Amino acid sequence: MKVRKLVTLVQETQAEGGEPLSSPATVAFAGAVITNPWAGRGFVEDLSPSINESAPRLAELLVPRLISVLDRPVEAYGKAAIVGVNGEIEHGSGLIHTLQFGDPFRNAVAGTTLLPAVEKRAAAGTVFDIPLKHITDMTIRSHHQTFEVRVADAPHPDEILVGLAAATGGRPHARLREFGSDPS
Amino acid sequence: MADSFTTMQDTVVDCRASGTATERASEVPARALLSRVEDIEQEYGQSVPGLLRRIVVAAVVKNPWVGRRVDDLSPGVESMHRELAPALIQRLVSHAGGKERIEAFGKGVIVGIGGEVEHGAALIHTPHLGDLFRMAVEGTSIIAFGELRAEAGAVLSIPMWHTRAAATRSHYQAAEVHIPDAPRPDEIVVALAASTGPRPFARIGDRLTD
Repeated sequence: MKVRKLVTLVQETQAEGGEPLSSPATVAFAGAVITNPWAGRGFVEDLSPSINESAPRLAELLVPRLISVLDRPVEAYGKAAIVGVNGEIEHGSGLIHTLQFGDPFRNAVAGTTLLPAVEKRAAAGTVFDIPLKHITDMTIRSHHQTFEVRVADAPHPDEILVGLAAATGGRPHARLREFGSDPS
Repeated sequence: MADSFTTMQDTVVDCRASGTATERASEVPARALLSRVEDIEQEYGQSVPGLLRRIVVAAVVKNPWVGRRVDDLSPGVESMHRELAPALIQRLVSHAGGKERIEAFGKGVIVGIGGEVEHGAALIHTPHLGDLFRMAVEGTSIIAFGELRAEAGAVLSIPMWHTRAAATRSHYQAAEVHIPDAPRPDEIVVALAASTGPRPFARIGDRLTD
């Protein structure tokens, strides 16, 4: 696996709607820009050999980087694969929709739910939004949130940008009704 | 819109003036703080030796002068940076893995469209930020900078150069700051940037070799 660049983002929100928060709402992202393992090979039917090679290594690289910039336990998470314009979306999906990528993250944060994901094929500098949901209960509305990412020079046409996102809490001042308690 | 600006301003003032440290997010007068770290492992297919890390830290603050003509900006600058400058510098140095790793630096500001460019200039061209930053990384150069007045989501490229030898071409480089929802018209984004090394495979010579 060829890694060109690693990107980490941290956003600490201290006030929302003009009201300060009792503790910052922190969301972070860790991403790797890698050479698309299937670039230049035409249509590859069986993606599994390269998935088996790259997905565990991506998790090894990204999970500790992401957790190291957060000062509290992870409560919500999500993932992303942005494929350069020469590749197939299937290439990005292959790298993130595998237990070899998702399980190390889930295990590190004691999560049990599916990781919401964004998959997209785009030019370098594209803006993408990573959906995040609660790590043990996907119906917890307070933790539904989205984190925007842009890397100016990635992905190149033959690259894939793979990333993980995590939040230490829900939305700032979340105050929606619980799932199942809406008036009918 | 004007009402929410007033609320924001009042709240920021209030949350600094009362309560204990545990009752509020922090002393920093910012709506949000952002950090961006890029580690460049390869350039044009070649592995980059050592750790080449570019860091940008930014704070979204209320423009203390918006909507009125203020001749003396210095009280607002001093008040803002009592907490803001140390918070930004601490985050930057921490992401770099220590002050000794920082070889190039820069600063930038994006003023929301309700403010004067001078408001942003005041917040970055001041000893209350610049001198502190320079001292923190043991630099001697003046600090490269970029200024912009723009809508939320604008991209500002922050130029950097060597912390002790500004004319060293290998260290001319830039890093971007981009925050989707900032600055609002009455806000200012204040940013610092640093790099732990030169451009990857810098090879354009120098003033002495031209």
